[in-house]
Amino acid sequence: MERTPSTSHITRRTLLRALAVVGLAGVSGPLLAPGAVQAQGTLGALQPEEKVEATMKRLFGSRPIKDGSSAIKLDIPLIAENGAVVPVTVEVQSPMTPADYVKHIYIISDKNRRPMNAKFTLTPAMGTALVGANLRLGETTDVRAVAELSDGTLLMAKREVKVTVGGCGG
Amino acid sequence: MAEIGKVRIRVPSSIKQGDVVRVRALVIHPMEIVQRRDGKPVDKNYLFINKVVVTYNGREILEAETTQSVSENPFFAFTFRATEPGTLKIAFLDTHGGKYEGTVDIKFS
Repeated sequence: MERTPSTSHITRRTLLRALAVVGLAGVSGPLLAPGAVQAQGTLGALQPEEKVEATMKRLFGSRPIKDGSSAIKLDIPLIAENGAVVPVTVEVQSPMTPADYVKHIYIISDKNRRPMNAKFTLTPAMGTALVGANLRLGETTDVRAVAELSDGTLLMAKREVKVTVGGCGG
Repeated sequence: MAEIGKVRIRVPSSIKQGDVVRVRALVIHPMEIVQRRDGKPVDKNYLFINKVVVTYNGREILEAETTQSVSENPFFAFTFRATEPGTLKIAFLDTHGGKYEGTVDIKFS
């Protein structure tokens, strides 16, 4: 162990203090409550634990959400044996021109502790409005895909996924 | 987890100009989930990817905000219109300030 005297005296306290400074510098984004002094991965910075209705209200307020089951192709297995990895693909019918494109796609799973799973911000350069990801689902749940079009219209499609083994742990 | 942050990107082997190309990307990352002790969540700085940014020749084409509801070693798929040869870059950012990037050259055949 060849350490200089200064580095060998890193106590837990100084380390924590240094980490706090790093955390302060890293705080950004609208997810944090104003004045929150936390690093990005702490509980305060996560999506809140809430019912899916509360999530929908928080994200979309009282804006009307139209049934988009004909425009949105939600490709997800009917039965997921392993909830830790559930592949999902969302494709929205859209010309994807600068005048008319899909701005955001939200993936929301109703019964997860934090229902908001992922938010994609798309651009017309993508050609098609297709995004895919692997989700973690805690139990059998509805999975919703909400698409926000460039004119502000909200479309939603949902499908139930039966989960044999949950993937969220505790 | 010596391989943490390793990014793999797959594009079709032959791309023509103007094609809408489907890209699949994977990053090796633990995506820590919230631990619970006596039913209460433990507060700590969990390590997971919370942002993904895709740029094509310097222009941002897709951005994603991800949460812990995305699986370990997250996989993403998306498309883009190949208008010109160049580089497609995917950057994954995690909550501990880590930035993992992968690039792929887009050439027309």
